[in-house]
Amino acid sequence: MPATLKSTLLSAYEPLPGHPDELIDASGQVNTTWTYLAKALDTLGVDGLHQRQKHLRRILRERGVTYNVYSDPAGLERSWDLDPVPMLIGSDEWARVEHGLQQRADLFNLILKDIYGPQELLARGLLPAELVHAHTGFLRPCHPYRTGLNHPLTLYAADLARRPDGTIYVLEDRTQAPSGAGYALENRVVMNRAMPSLLRESQVHRLALFFQNLRATLSALAPPRGQDEAHVVVLTPGSRNETYFEHAFLASYLGYTLVEGGDLTVRDGRVWLRSMDRLEPVDVILRRLDDDYCDALELRPESLLGVPGLTEVVRQGSVAVANPLGAGVLENPALNAFLPGIAQHLLGQELELPAPPTWWCGDPDSREYVLSKLDSLVIRPIDQRSGARTIVPGTLDKSARDALVTRIRWSPQHFVGQTPSGFSSVPTLGDLGLEPRLAVLRTFLVARSDGYAVMPGGLTRVARVPSDPSMSNRAGGLSKDTWVIATEPVREASLLAIEVTDGGPTDRSAALPPAATENLFWMARYAERADQALRLVRVITRVQQATMDTSRPVETRCLETLLRALTAMTGTQPGFLDNTRDSLREPTPELLSVLQHGQRTGSVTFNLHAMLAASHAVRDRLSPDIWRVIGAIRQRLSELPLPLTVEELAGVIDELVTLLAALRGLQEDTMVHSRAWSFLEMGRCVERGLLTTTFLHAILVTPEKAATESRLLDAALEHLESLHAYHREYHHPAQRDSVLRLLLLSESNPRSVGFQLARLEANLATLPDAGAPDELSAEQRLALDARTALRLSEPETLLVDSGTATPGEPLEALLTRTHRLLAKAAQSLANTYFSDPQGPRQLDPMPRPGGERP
Amino acid sequence: MRYRVTHRTEYSYPRTIGRGYNEAHLAPRATRYQQVRDHRVDIHPMPAYRSRRTDYFGNGVLHFAIQQPHSLLSVTAISVVELTSPAASITLAEGTPWETAGAIISDDRSNSGLEARQFLLDSPLVETRRALAQYAAPSFPAGRPVPAAVSDLMGRIHADFAYDPTATTISTPLERVFRERRGVCQDFAHLAIACLRSLRLPARYVSGYVETTAPPGQSRLVGADASHAWFAVYDPALGWLDYDPTNNRMPGTQHVTTAWGRDYGDVSPLKGVIFGGSQGQRSEVAVDVEPLDAEEHNRS
Repeated sequence: MPATLKSTLLSAYEPLPGHPDELIDASGQVNTTWTYLAKALDTLGVDGLHQRQKHLRRILRERGVTYNVYSDPAGLERSWDLDPVPMLIGSDEWARVEHGLQQRADLFNLILKDIYGPQELLARGLLPAELVHAHTGFLRPCHPYRTGLNHPLTLYAADLARRPDGTIYVLEDRTQAPSGAGYALENRVVMNRAMPSLLRESQVHRLALFFQNLRATLSALAPPRGQDEAHVVVLTPGSRNETYFEHAFLASYLGYTLVEGGDLTVRDGRVWLRSMDRLEPVDVILRRLDDDYCDALELRPESLLGVPGLTEVVRQGSVAVANPLGAGVLENPALNAFLPGIAQHLLGQELELPAPPTWWCGDPDSREYVLSKLDSLVIRPIDQRSGARTIVPGTLDKSARDALVTRIRWSPQHFVGQTPSGFSSVPTLGDLGLEPRLAVLRTFLVARSDGYAVMPGGLTRVARVPSDPSMSNRAGGLSKDTWVIATEPVREASLLAIEVTDGGPTDRSAALPPAATENLFWMARYAERADQALRLVRVITRVQQATMDTSRPVETRCLETLLRALTAMTGTQPGFLDNTRDSLREPTPELLSVLQHGQRTGSVTFNLHAMLAASHAVRDRLSPDIWRVIGAIRQRLSELPLPLTVEELAGVIDELVTLLAALRGLQEDTMVHSRAWSFLEMGRCVERGLLTTTFLHAILVTPEKAATESRLLDAALEHLESLHAYHREYHHPAQRDSVLRLLLLSESNPRSVGFQLARLEANLATLPDAGAPDELSAEQRLALDARTALRLSEPETLLVDSGTATPGEPLEALLTRTHRLLAKAAQSLANTYFSDPQGPRQLDPMPRPGGERP
Repeated sequence: MRYRVTHRTEYSYPRTIGRGYNEAHLAPRATRYQQVRDHRVDIHPMPAYRSRRTDYFGNGVLHFAIQQPHSLLSVTAISVVELTSPAASITLAEGTPWETAGAIISDDRSNSGLEARQFLLDSPLVETRRALAQYAAPSFPAGRPVPAAVSDLMGRIHADFAYDPTATTISTPLERVFRERRGVCQDFAHLAIACLRSLRLPARYVSGYVETTAPPGQSRLVGADASHAWFAVYDPALGWLDYDPTNNRMPGTQHVTTAWGRDYGDVSPLKGVIFGGSQGQRSEVAVDVEPLDAEEHNRS
């Protein structure tokens, strides 16, 4: 029964002219599928919806949901944006769509098998040979497929839209490494948090079954080896990839290890995952890397992202890859011109879902048609790699148009002409109310033994501004949860539990690949660098304040030493070490630069960004709480005024120091003390040890007048959070020997160097290459050496004025040596556990074929 | 005519390589005029993994992986082949008029036709260009059969382009070869292929060896030969016909064929990916084409 439009929210909604609308039908009535939601939205009103939107955005930010934009000058990540108004599809219409999608997936699967098999479609002329041979996605080294699988096409995705006549059609096919299913699930999880009752009462089909199917299918792909469970990994191009969030999210939701190419290695004809000191055999690779990048030996020589030798292992059937290598050949708009014939031939069926009318220019008649109707068509290349995107000839000037015609005539097989796409609009929350936005729905299918299973729902993307057809996330699009509305209450209660859980990290994967190890270690190191610099700047600003108040030479001398220490510690030379500059007299500009100059290596902002990037790469291993703090740091960093004023400084520093402390606390508190945790811990110990020895070197080695020294020692104690501890323990003003004991030698002060070495040793002993007491690993020896030297030292001897020697020499020697040993231990860890810094390289080309000329 | 071909490649690395993955196109192909009597590849150090397959173009490929640290890789292919002369050499009047050939092929769905059609298309190292079609045009007057036209094109490339091993490298674009009119056998083969494809005739790259004869009174220099490259064109009536633009003749009993593909990239004799080491690899190649029936050879 159609509802009437009474409320302000709905009555103010005006569909876009010339486009069908999802909410309002042609007669101006609310579509029955939307009746319940429309009422609910009306009840919420504009303000209520805006509140929900804020809530959604907060959840998304806290969960760190991002979509990376390479070219974004504002930074690597862009927050994922989700509209509070979902996209709705009724059961009846969905049933037809689902059936049509299954047919299309079946068809694509059969075409893939034929292309990488007997190529009968080519011999029969049902598929022109050039569509295969001229397509960059056709990978000759992968021909023929030898798996004997019924469904080599594991995953298939299709972008759907609605034409002006109301029918749903396929805009685009995705077979390479379809993305978006994880975002669709994430959207659902977040909607479930923000509007649980609405979701429940709307009788929405659940998504969880799709992912169970995916898991089952991937397991079944494993080569038979008789082990209990298939070892599946998710191969990502890395944390800079635009959909990296999804890679990490899916990996942890499905319980698979997330790996980069360098984490995998081919040996003895198999693929192995490098994890600490051992190699674990890999059975199945769910790849989110384009297939040609997967193997620098056979597919794309310049690729550094893949696993050299992989193609051969796949050929031998010793590892399965989903989607299979070579599946990108199906991403070809020209297929549309031949699908009806192929469907008849292979299935004996009419094609159920239409696609835009398409003419392949390789066919002479079609080419002439396209050229004669050029202005009413769009021109598209048959593959994305050729560099060309969709061209709208109607918008070109004469010379560009002529050039296009020439190109089409010269290599017609590379182009299709297509009728421009139509889209429907869907209500989307704007500033003042609901606005119509054009929409595209990405749907997802996964192969099962008996056919394809469709995710009931999908990822809807809408344009940022009304009637803008660019809906990609890269263009800054907005997403919607997609609800397939059941006619009866959904009774999949058992699956609900899975769906409403976080999908947060489960740490089910015990494997710790080199890339993740390295990122954990460096995440902690960068955080420590930022933290120490912030703390020292805080001390400096306080001393600065005192200098202004008194301007005694003692204070001035103390300030200068601290400033030099800051430069040494942050590695921002020349900085305050450059005596020719005025920076010591007027330190504020340089101080602000060390804090905020993001391009400057060693600055606080630089280190925080590096810490964020590293954390991003190991997000599947961090708890939601940790992730929330990281989100807050990112947020705070992006809001910082540039440059900070001196008045703002103290507040910002305190806040960042607190956030970093929260990060460390949560690591301790919410992470399983596993290998991953150990590397965070060791990263912090190593960095804190290095920075503290540098700091003590700058402060303590050169003897000062008594007054200056006492002021400096106080500052040092303050910087290392040990002022109170000192005064509890020693009832006299700060003295060098007692300070050394507390900040350098002590193994119970969490800020002292000795403490770091003890912690480091303890953690090193838990690593796989740690040996029995009489056969220590290289890094263990180094740590033991450093720690023993400290333990055997006495402040009195370190500070002795030996007469002939330079004063402070024993201390300086000890600090320098400790620093060196720590740095070497870190390097030794890197050599053993991190990614091979060199990566794969091509053999230089051989001397060329020459050939003699008589 | 029997030959023993020895193709030895050595890579030396200034620093030790941990692992290496390689693919070699070193096995001679069996063809109408060539039989492979023996073929083996010796690799040092010993590969931990080794397998043979036939690639998409029907060439034999050897895949191997070395997993032990090494600073020297040596790959030696030793093959014995027997060549027979084409029964009757083609007269230039034979074959299909070139325009007709192009029209027949464009829609040919026979096995050989389908196979040939992929060699009409651009490939990574060979792009069709209008300028190349124009360069080739004088050799292709209306109605001229494919063999005569291609033979003429070969002669012109031989005359117009200087053989100069210093002029180009493996990555020199074809455009520059065309502009500067110099290069080596690989460049001439690519150029001819590009010309033919620009005229819509299927052309493929052939990799192999050519026997070099010593000047009278001197003995052959062992290992002085190099691997060689030429091209083949498809005539629907005659099939694939080989042409060697570097030496301006159709290969006969002195050309040993190893592999063919769209361009050099499909059939490079040895390629690989290595882990570890540093810049500054050095490589050396020695090829020796040794006639085994000296008497017969002297008579020919």
